[in-house]
Amino acid sequence: MIAILCVDNNNGMMFCRRRQSQDRLLREHVIHLIGLHKLWMNSYSKTQFINTDSAQILIDDNFLEKALHGDYCFVEDMDISQYTEKLEKIILFHWNRLYPADMFFTLDLSEWTLEEKEDFTGHSHEKITKEVYSK
Amino acid sequence: MNKVKLSIAVLLSSITIALSACAQPVTTESENLALAAHYENEIKAVSSLNEGQQSPDTASLSSSQPYETSSPQEMSSPQEMSSPQEMSSPQESTFSLSAIVPYAGQPYIAVNGNIPYFEEEDLIAQSYETYSDLDDLGRCRAACASIGIDLMPTEERGNIGQVKPTGWHLAKYDIVDGKYLYNRCHLIGYQLSGENANEKNLITGTRYLNVQGMLPFENMVADYVKESENHVLYRVTPIFEGNNLLASGVLMEAESVEDKGESILFCVYVYNVQPGIIIDYATGESSLDTSTPETANTPVPDTAATEPSTSDDTTDPSTSGTAAAEPSTPGAAAEPSASSAETVIEPQPQVPQEAEPQGTTYILNTNTKKFHYPSCSTIGQMKESNKEEYTGDRENIISRGYVPCKKCNP
Repeated sequence: MIAILCVDNNNGMMFCRRRQSQDRLLREHVIHLIGLHKLWMNSYSKTQFINTDSAQILIDDNFLEKALHGDYCFVEDMDISQYTEKLEKIILFHWNRLYPADMFFTLDLSEWTLEEKEDFTGHSHEKITKEVYSK
Repeated sequence: MNKVKLSIAVLLSSITIALSACAQPVTTESENLALAAHYENEIKAVSSLNEGQQSPDTASLSSSQPYETSSPQEMSSPQEMSSPQEMSSPQESTFSLSAIVPYAGQPYIAVNGNIPYFEEEDLIAQSYETYSDLDDLGRCRAACASIGIDLMPTEERGNIGQVKPTGWHLAKYDIVDGKYLYNRCHLIGYQLSGENANEKNLITGTRYLNVQGMLPFENMVADYVKESENHVLYRVTPIFEGNNLLASGVLMEAESVEDKGESILFCVYVYNVQPGIIIDYATGESSLDTSTPETANTPVPDTAATEPSTSDDTTDPSTSGTAAAEPSTPGAAAEPSASSAETVIEPQPQVPQEAEPQGTTYILNTNTKKFHYPSCSTIGQMKESNKEEYTGDRENIISRGYVPCKKCNP
C-alpha cells in the first residue's frame, strides 16, 4: 500500500473537519503517478476528484483495510499510523504554506528513506513539493 | 438601507458582542443580475452600523458611524446602485470575550463550534468589501468582505508605514521573530482584498498574532478562492476590552459561499499576544517577561532609541530598546512598517527527516521536455517558468517523456 497525503508547513492535514487545501494540478499529478494501479480513497476525498475521469479510483470508507500491495491510497482525514506494517511507500505533497490545523500527519519518518523529491507549480500554489519515502 | 449591526454589552468584566451580518448589496435577483452585468461583480455597497446597545465605556464596537465601503475599482456612478437592504432585525448571535480561555500556547481557539455568526442571506456570490469607521478612540472595528478572485491584488503591496493604529509602539525584542513586537496587521489581509494603507483595516498586532495567528487563515481562504474561483464571506473583528487601545485579539469568521461552507468554515478567536512579552493593552506598552524560562536569561537590550531609518517593511531600523517609542514628531522618521501577514516569509517546511533524497538532481525543462545536470551551461538560457528541479531516479524522468540533454548528457 502506498499512501498519498498533503501537508502544510507544520504537517497539518485538516482543520475543522475540512482539508486545508487542494489543487487541480496536484490531482493530475496523482492520476499520472498511479498509472494503471488502483487509487483508493474515501467518500470525503472523492468530492475533490469528482471531475476526475479515472477508472482506477475506488471509493470505500474502509479503504485502508482493503487496499492491497501496490495499491495507492489518497488519505486526507485519517490516521495512517496504525497501518505502518502495510505501508510500502509514503508520498507526501507539501503545500509550502502555513494553514490552520487540528489534525496532523504524525508518522515518524526517521526510519524511512527519502528516495525522491520534486517541486512543481500547482494551479493555486506557487510551489508544491513531492517527497517519496520508502522503508 | 442595508445595515450591519454591532452592539456590545458589558456583563460584569466581560465583553459580549452582538455580531451582525456583513453588508450586502442588492437584494432581488433581477437587480443582482443587472448589477453583475453592469459592474462585473465589483460592488460598492453602502451600509451602516445600527445604533447598538452601547455601554459608555465600550465604544469600540458599538458606534452609529456608518460603514465606509470600497472596492478595488471605483464605480463610476454609485447612484445607480440599488439601496442596500435594511436588515430586518439585529442578529442574536453573540461573541463573549469572557468565554475565551486565557492564552495557553495556541495562537487561536475555535469559537461557537467554529461556526461563523453569519446569516444565510449574507452569503452572496459577489465580491465586495466593507470597512467600519474608526470609533471615537480611533480604533478599528469590523471589516467584512466577500472575497472573490476579482477582489484579489494584482500587484505588490505598497508602503503602509504612514498608518499608526491605536496602541502603536516601536518595540523591539531579540526573542521576537523579526525583532519587532508589533506589526500593522491588516484585518482583511492584502492577499485577499488588495487593500493597502487603509487605516480602517490596520490594527496594532503582535508578530505572533500576525504570522502564527492570522496568516494561516488568510492563506487558506486565498488559496481556496484562487483554486475554485468561488467566494468566501470573511469578517475580522478586533476585540478591545473597555477603552484599551490595543486589541486583546481578533475574531475571524469565514464561510465559502457557493458550497455553503463545505470547503471553508471557521470562527476563531486569535490572541494578540507575544510569548515572552508582557503587554499593557490599555496603551500598547510592553516589557520583557523575565519570569518565563525562555526569557529569563535573555539580556534586556539597551533602551536608547535612535532614529529609525526611513525604509519600509523589511528594513531593520537602527532602533534598539526594550520598547522604543516611535518618534513623536510626525514625519520625523518613518518607523518600520512591520510586515503584514501576507508579506511575511513563511517558515521552512518541517521536513519529517533531514536525510537528503537518494538519487541525482536534475533540471527539467518543462517546455522542451529535456533534462539536464544543474551544471549544464544551457540552464542559464532556460526560462524560469520552464525550469523544474527534480531529485531522484533518472528512469522516472524518462518515463515522464523527458529526454537527456545532448550537451551535458545526464
